[in-house]
Amino acid sequence: MNKELLYEDLDDSRPEGRTFTVDRKATVWEVLTSERFFKWTLLIPLVVLLIIFMLYPLFYCMYYSFQEWGMQGDALFVGLHNYRAMLNDQAFLEALGRTFKVLVICIVAEISIGLGLAILWNRDFKGQGTVRGLTLLPLMVAPLVLSLLWNFLLEYDFGAVNQLLEAVGLGKIYWWSPNLALYTICGITVWQWFPFSVFVLLAGLRSLPRDVFEAAKVDGAGEWYTFRRLTLPMLSPLIMIIVVLRAMWLIRLFDPLYGTTRGGVKTELLDWTVYRTAFVYFDIGYGSAMAIFSLFLTIAVCAIMFRLLMKSFGEV
Amino acid sequence: MIRKLLFWVITVTVLLAVVGPLLWIFLTAYKAPNDIFTTELRKIFIFSPTLDNFQRLFSSYPFWKNLGNTAIVSVISTIVVMFVSLPAAYSFSRWNTGGGHLLFVTISTRMFPGVVAAIPFFIVFRRLGLLDTHAALVLLYTYFNTSFATFLLYGFFREVPKELEQAAMIDGYGRMEIFRRIVFPLILPGLAVTSVFCLIWSWNEFFYAFLFTRRFATTVNVLISSFWGSIEVQYGPMAAGAAIAILPTLLAALLMQRYIIRGLTFGAVKG
Repeated sequence: MNKELLYEDLDDSRPEGRTFTVDRKATVWEVLTSERFFKWTLLIPLVVLLIIFMLYPLFYCMYYSFQEWGMQGDALFVGLHNYRAMLNDQAFLEALGRTFKVLVICIVAEISIGLGLAILWNRDFKGQGTVRGLTLLPLMVAPLVLSLLWNFLLEYDFGAVNQLLEAVGLGKIYWWSPNLALYTICGITVWQWFPFSVFVLLAGLRSLPRDVFEAAKVDGAGEWYTFRRLTLPMLSPLIMIIVVLRAMWLIRLFDPLYGTTRGGVKTELLDWTVYRTAFVYFDIGYGSAMAIFSLFLTIAVCAIMFRLLMKSFGEV
Repeated sequence: MIRKLLFWVITVTVLLAVVGPLLWIFLTAYKAPNDIFTTELRKIFIFSPTLDNFQRLFSSYPFWKNLGNTAIVSVISTIVVMFVSLPAAYSFSRWNTGGGHLLFVTISTRMFPGVVAAIPFFIVFRRLGLLDTHAALVLLYTYFNTSFATFLLYGFFREVPKELEQAAMIDGYGRMEIFRRIVFPLILPGLAVTSVFCLIWSWNEFFYAFLFTRRFATTVNVLISSFWGSIEVQYGPMAAGAAIAILPTLLAALLMQRYIIRGLTFGAVKG
């Protein structure tokens, strides 16, 4: 190559050496795709979407949570009245209690089943692809369809589950009795979501370093000891993530209720209460207050669970 | 030996518990009412199949129209989500735009309980005359799918080596061209996985569809739920409708198993 030519091109001190002189003003498109602004240009659609769909509803809900409004006429400013009413609302508090119950039962059950099966299936065996593919299925089906399905499977007289129980010699169970219905709904939810835990933990187990386990084996560590001292602590970040994700989704549990009890027989949960208040009674002010509460609850629960789990895993 | 036996006993039990109920939908779809409402256990599997349920579903209910609505809304919202998430995820992964805060905000929209958006949008859509339209559902589905899609794509973009882009820049490509001709082809598999997720979630969504549609834009899930009436429950047509409605997602699960599992665990394992 001709060295001189190359230097000439790069020499800024000589005006004729510059190759990118632009006389006209840059067009909007050129500015948007320029090195400096391109990264922000890419974000324009997202930011617009976030403002419309996140900030706007949030402020709207907050605004109406201080008002009394039935979707018609003028809204009336009532200050904190809605929030105060909420704390004295027996139905709401019960729904809140039930939501916590569901949260704990489902998460504990899902993670226990998930951990068990993940450890069981963390090896190469014949038909492992089929096993995984079939286990994935409940996650792929609409929760609403599943709730309707289970509603009939658990029917007292004609439901397949009760018929099987009777054939085995155990008596029929009235799954939708006020004492049991909430647990039945938990069962349905666990049935649908345990594969999520299985797959996340399975992926986690696969990514663990092998040599550590081999070393433990050489040192004569028992299986239970290895599990408690090695596997569990190393999986703890994943378990934490499952807990937080599931808590987020469980707080807004709605579909399984719609297909089964519709909030009856002592199964009304938080989201159902908000739905009923805002969309059946059209009490927008009160409904908004509950929705805002539900949002902050989600944030708080996730934060607290995160802390607690961090602590407990730190001590293992 | 005993361990192996135990392994298969547990595995088969789990699989039966998972597949049994789903199989039951397909069996019930072909059953006459007196085979559905029976206390004879053997009739779960042994019955004379009939197509009555499907015929009733197709003739008395707007099943195909509702299925079409679901498909239209799912596909359009997925396309819109891609137009929003793809550039955003690229920006996040390549320049860490916003120092991670903006990405966190995007992801945290998943924390939002559905009702927080439902109340304001119900009122606004009512005022704009958007209730019971496809557009309303497309907007809402775009809203709840964007955060996950962005996050998933963010992971896929991070796997594209920076050196490729730098090489292209030396060759004189502009930013737009690099994105279009270098990065986009490489991200296509990831784009496909993300799209499938958005499609499945839109397809399965019920809460918004139930609140925001009445007659015109009802999705198939809303139709299926309407068979669970307060007066009578029509299990035959319900099972027939469900059998068709869940088929696409089940097929997706079986055909794209590896990718779907990867996508599901992706956020958890890498995040």
